[in-house]
Amino acid sequence: MTILWFLFKEGFKGLLRSKYSGAFSIIIIAISIIMIGFGYIIARDTLFMVENIRSQFDVDIFILSTAGSDEIIAFDKKLRQMNEIERVIYISPETAAKKFKQEFGEDILDILDYNPLPPSFTISLKPIYRNLMSVEAIANILQRDSVVDEVKYRKNFLIILEKYQRIILACVLIVFAVLTLISIILTSNSIKMTIFARRDIISTMKLIGATNRFVKTPFVIEGTLEGGLGALLASLIIYGIIYVQNTYLQSFFDYTLNVSYQYYIALLLLGSFLGWVGSRQAIRRFL
Amino acid sequence: MISFINATCSFRKNAGVKNLNFSIDDGEFVFLTGPSGAGKSTLLRLIYMDLFPEKGKVLIRDYDSAKIKDRQIPFLRRKVGMIFQDFQLLKDRNVYQNVAISLYASHYKTREIKSRVYDILNQVGLGHRVHHKPLELSGGEQQRVAIARALVKEPIVLLADEPTGNLDPRVSIELINLLYKINKKGTAVIVATHNYSLIKRVPGARLIQMNDGEIASIT
Ligand SMILES: Nc1ncnc2c1ncn2[C@@H]1O[C@H](COP(=O)(O)OP(=O)(O)OP(=O)(O)O)[C@@H](O)[C@H]1O
Ligand SMILES: [Mg+2]
Repeated sequence: MTILWFLFKEGFKGLLRSKYSGAFSIIIIAISIIMIGFGYIIARDTLFMVENIRSQFDVDIFILSTAGSDEIIAFDKKLRQMNEIERVIYISPETAAKKFKQEFGEDILDILDYNPLPPSFTISLKPIYRNLMSVEAIANILQRDSVVDEVKYRKNFLIILEKYQRIILACVLIVFAVLTLISIILTSNSIKMTIFARRDIISTMKLIGATNRFVKTPFVIEGTLEGGLGALLASLIIYGIIYVQNTYLQSFFDYTLNVSYQYYIALLLLGSFLGWVGSRQAIRRFL
Repeated sequence: MISFINATCSFRKNAGVKNLNFSIDDGEFVFLTGPSGAGKSTLLRLIYMDLFPEKGKVLIRDYDSAKIKDRQIPFLRRKVGMIFQDFQLLKDRNVYQNVAISLYASHYKTREIKSRVYDILNQVGLGHRVHHKPLELSGGEQQRVAIARALVKEPIVLLADEPTGNLDPRVSIELINLLYKINKKGTAVIVATHNYSLIKRVPGARLIQMNDGEIASIT
């Protein structure tokens, strides 16, 4: 107990003693966290937008005109029982004719004397099935049903969409990894400066019989505290920017930034983690 | 307790120490003399295993320089008190903390640390300087802080490298008397010094004279 308390106090005092170099580390960590924090929001919202071109994943099912109304009702029921489907809309020949008129400005009955439009269903898939593979699989199953004439979906578009989604995701991951790595290096270097100013303590401690762990722990605690404080600073800045955007600039950009309190907690943890890893890295070469 | 067996430690050709062969027993008082560059500091560093011989070996109680593991070195150093020529005190901590840190590093309990530190500071005559920072003390006082820090963990041997280097003659004599008093209580003391006049101050002390990294004479 004595030893833990002592090491913790040492770490805390170290933070107060380090003044400028400590403040510098905190600012470096804050900048890192701001980069990562906004990087996350941008990545999240981009992916969300892509995900949410939801109508692009809708599937149209055209029914044979020979199908009777009880067969159609049975098919409708079957669709609604399918696990993958979020929403089913039935479009009768009459509705289809109305839509035709809305779209083309002419009544199909005037042109052809009869309504050639078949009854159809438009189904929306649940979010996790909104990918080319699932859409294809579901379309294949439905195609085999005896009342179904044709199943249509935007195959080419989906192929392109999936490709871009993958590229975006890969970019996001790479950018994130690079940002985190840069952050760790920056943090570690600024903490190294803090430690460098006090390297005499380290050599003295080792000469009077301190173990590496004893020498190291206060510096790691100090680094972790610096990380936490840096993240706190970053959180305040991000909070401020989000507040300004949502209150004053929203009308210009038509974009609302939404983050939960968990987001800020994650930033604080991330900052502490950066400080922890950075200081462990930094102290290594002084031991 | 301390044995050098054919120990050689050279930084480059003709520097460092070679073929050291001698033993020091519990409770002895040993002066280590010789001209500058003779290898006195190197010999002391071999004892607290800041350096290792490339030939031969150094034995301190159960610790063997040829076999010791990195993680055992702190435990050896808790048994060896060291007083450095430049004191190596922590400038941003007061006298109490400078001494106490040695006990914290050895995992003592807070209460015991307190009583031991006050006790040793009184013994070296610094009871009234507990809350001063090193730079607010005279050279002689800093020297005594260094001694207190070395002694507080009750080492089996106390090493002092040039302890009177920048002290005036009167303070030097006081210091030697203090080391003698400590030695009388059973701690072995090894003092490296140029100052031959100190030697006669300690009756019965052994003398190791070094020259060019070798032992020139030993009593
Ligand atoms: N770190 C080092 N690197 C290279 N050579 C060294 C190193 N330390 C000591 N030496 C050399 O080893 C020899 C012995 O040095 P040492 O410091 O032991 O002498 P000393 O007897 O303590 O001298 P002084 O009385 O001046 O303190 C000297 O020739 C010195 O130049
Ligand atoms: Mg020397």
